[in-house]
Amino acid sequence: MKIVILLKTAITALKVNVLRSCLTMLGIIIGVAAVIIMVAMGAGAQQKVDEQIKSLGGNVFFVTGAFRQSGGARSASVVKINEDDANLIEKQVPGVEAAAPYLSSAGQVIYGNLNWSTEIDGIDNRYFVVRDWDLASGREFTSAEINRGSKVAIIGERLRVELFGASDPIGQTIRVTNFNATIIGVLAAKGQDSRGEDQDDVIFLPIKTVRNKITGVSSTNPKSVRFIQVSAYDGEDMDYIEDEMSRLLRQRMRIPVGGDDMFRIRNVSEMIATRAETIQVFNTLLAWVASVSLVVGGIGIMNIMLVSVTERTREIGLRMAVGAKPSDILYQFLIESIVLCGLGGFIGVVIAYGFVFMGNQYGIGAGGIIETQVVLLSLGFSGLIGVFFGYYPALKASRLAPIDALRYE
Amino acid sequence: MTQPLLKVRQAKKVYAMGDEQVWALKGVDLDIQQGEFVAIMGSSGSGKSTMMNLLGCLDIASEGSIAFAGQELSSLTKNELASVRNQRIGFVFQQFNLLPRTSALGNVTLPLLYSNVPESDWASRAKQCLENVGLGSRMDHHPGQLSGGQQQRVAIARALINDPLMILADEPTGALDTQTGLEVMALFQQLNQQGKTIILVTHEPDIAQFAKRKLTFRDGELINDERNNNVRQAALENTL
Ligand SMILES: Nc1ncnc2c1ncn2[C@@H]1O[C@H](COP(=O)(O)OP(=O)(O)OP(=O)(O)O)[C@@H](O)[C@H]1O
Ligand SMILES: [Mg+2]
Repeated sequence: MKIVILLKTAITALKVNVLRSCLTMLGIIIGVAAVIIMVAMGAGAQQKVDEQIKSLGGNVFFVTGAFRQSGGARSASVVKINEDDANLIEKQVPGVEAAAPYLSSAGQVIYGNLNWSTEIDGIDNRYFVVRDWDLASGREFTSAEINRGSKVAIIGERLRVELFGASDPIGQTIRVTNFNATIIGVLAAKGQDSRGEDQDDVIFLPIKTVRNKITGVSSTNPKSVRFIQVSAYDGEDMDYIEDEMSRLLRQRMRIPVGGDDMFRIRNVSEMIATRAETIQVFNTLLAWVASVSLVVGGIGIMNIMLVSVTERTREIGLRMAVGAKPSDILYQFLIESIVLCGLGGFIGVVIAYGFVFMGNQYGIGAGGIIETQVVLLSLGFSGLIGVFFGYYPALKASRLAPIDALRYE
Repeated sequence: MTQPLLKVRQAKKVYAMGDEQVWALKGVDLDIQQGEFVAIMGSSGSGKSTMMNLLGCLDIASEGSIAFAGQELSSLTKNELASVRNQRIGFVFQQFNLLPRTSALGNVTLPLLYSNVPESDWASRAKQCLENVGLGSRMDHHPGQLSGGQQQRVAIARALINDPLMILADEPTGALDTQTGLEVMALFQQLNQQGKTIILVTHEPDIAQFAKRKLTFRDGELINDERNNNVRQAALENTL
C-alpha cells in the first residue's frame, strides 16, 4: 500500500525534470545494454561453437601424416598414412566408433550445360558415420563399389541445388573432371564448418575411384589417404583414445622410443572449444568493462540525487512538519533512486534486445543469445546500484532537522 | 484548574553563530489552555518564530521544559516528535508551503501519508476539509492556479486534516492583502469556536485583535501577557 504511494511520489518527482532524469539514467541504460549485449554475444559464439562441434559429428580426431625426421634433418618427404591405418585404429583402439579414411581433391563437375567447381573427396561409408551425416535421398556406396572403385557419386546439398535445381539427381550421370559418374545419393544439408566453409559444396566418390582417376596412385604408398577422421563413442576418454592411437601408429611405423612421431593426431572438438574459450574470455572482459560503466552511471545517479535533495530541502522540511519520520524521507529518496535505476535498467534491456535482434537479423557478428537470467541479473544489479548510490543522498535528506529544512533558502 | 495544553517553563533557545552565541529565547514561562486563541506580537527578531518552532516540535529547546498535553517534549524521540506533529498539531506558514505540482486535494492529503488513516478514507477526508474552508470547487487546482488567500486556505485545510489539538500559524496573513487576511482570520476564529487551540504570530495589531489573548515578546523574553477584552469578530458569512 505505502509502496504504491512512494512509487507515485517518486515518479511525480522524476517527471518534474524529465530531461535531467533521462540524462541521469543514460549511464545505467548504456551500462545495462552493454553488459547484456556482450554476454549475449558470448552466448551466441558459444552456441555456434557447440553447433560446429555437433556438425563435426561429436568427438572427432584428425590423423594426418607428418614430415619424416631423419637424424635431426627434416626431409621433404611426407609420411602418408593409409587405409590400413584406419582399419587398424578402428579394430584395435577401444572406444573408437569409426575411423574413416579420406582423400581430397577439387575440380569441375558438369551436368548438362551447367558446371560447378567443387570439392571432390574419396571416402567410404564410414565417413558418414564419423560425421554423423545422413542421406537425404538415395543410398550409400556398396562394398562392391568401394572395392572396385566404381564411378558412383554421393553429392552434397549445395551441389544438388547448383546443378539440378528442382529435378531429381538420383540416377543421373554427371561429368567429374575427366570421367562420368552416376549419382546414387544426396546428403542432408550440414551448413558451414568452423571456418565458415560450406560443407554441402562437395561430391563424394569411393576412395579408390578418386585415387585412380584424379590424385593418382603413389608407388611407395598405394593406399595413401589425406587423413583419417576418427570418431569416439560419447563419454569415452578422449585422451586415452589419443594415447592408444599414438601408441598403435608408432608401433606400426616402428618408431623407436624417444623418436618423433611421423603422424599428427588432432582432437578437433577440443581445438574448437579452445578457440571458443578465447572468444569467451574476450567477451567476459568486455562485459566487465561495460559493468564499470554501470558503476559510473551509479555515481551519476548519486550526484543527481544529492542535487535533488538540496533543491527539495524545503519540501523535505514541509513533509517533516506535517509528520514525516526520518525513515519516511529516507524511503522516499531511496525509492526515487531505485526507480531511476530500475527504469534505466529496463530501457537498457529493451535496447539490448533491439540491438541483438537487429544483429541477428542482418547477420552481424556471431549472433547473440539473450538469456533470461542475465536480464534478471542486470535488472537486479541496476536496482542494487540504485540502493547503493541512492542511500547516501537519502540518508542526508532524512537527517535534516525539520526547522532547518523548512527555513532553507 | 485542568492541566494546560502547553506548559512552558524557563524555555531558552541559543543559536551558535560562529564563536558568538545568540540567545533567541532567554527563559520563557507560559501556560496555554485548551481552546485558547493566542496572538504573539513583538518586533522583528524578538523570538516569536523561535517560540512557535519549539511549541510545534519543529525544534528542541536548549534549556528549560515544554510540556504538550502533559508530555515533556525534550524526552521524545525524533519519531515520536514526528508523530506529535502529524496527529496533534497543524501548521500554517506565511509562505503557504504547498507542494507546487500537486493539486489542492493532494496537498491536503499529504499529512495522511504519514498517519495510520486507511488509504480508502483519504480522499473523502481531504474533500471534507477543503469544503470546510470553502474550497470544495477548487480541489483539482494546483497552487499556481489559486490566489494567495485560496492557497492559505488549502494550507489550513491541510493543517486540519488529522483533527489536531492546536494550530500554529506564523504570520499567516503576512503574504496576503488586508481583505484576504481578514477572511483567513475569520476562518481561524471559526475553528477556535469549534474548540481548536490557535496560536498565531503577527506584526499587525489589527490581526491580533481577533485573538482572545495577546502575548508580547521583546529580546527573547515574554514581556506582556494580556487578555483581549475587545475581541474583534469577523463577519464570516460575508467573506466566504
Ligand atoms: N537558525 C538560526 N541561527 C542563528 N540565529 C537565529 C536562527 N534563527 C533565529 N535566530 C536569531 O534568533 C533571534 C530570534 O529570531 P526569530 O526568528 O524567533 O525572530 P522573530 O520574532 O520571528 O522575527 P520576525 O518578526 O522578523 O519573524 C533573532 O535574533 C535571529 O537572528
Ligand atoms: Mg518570525
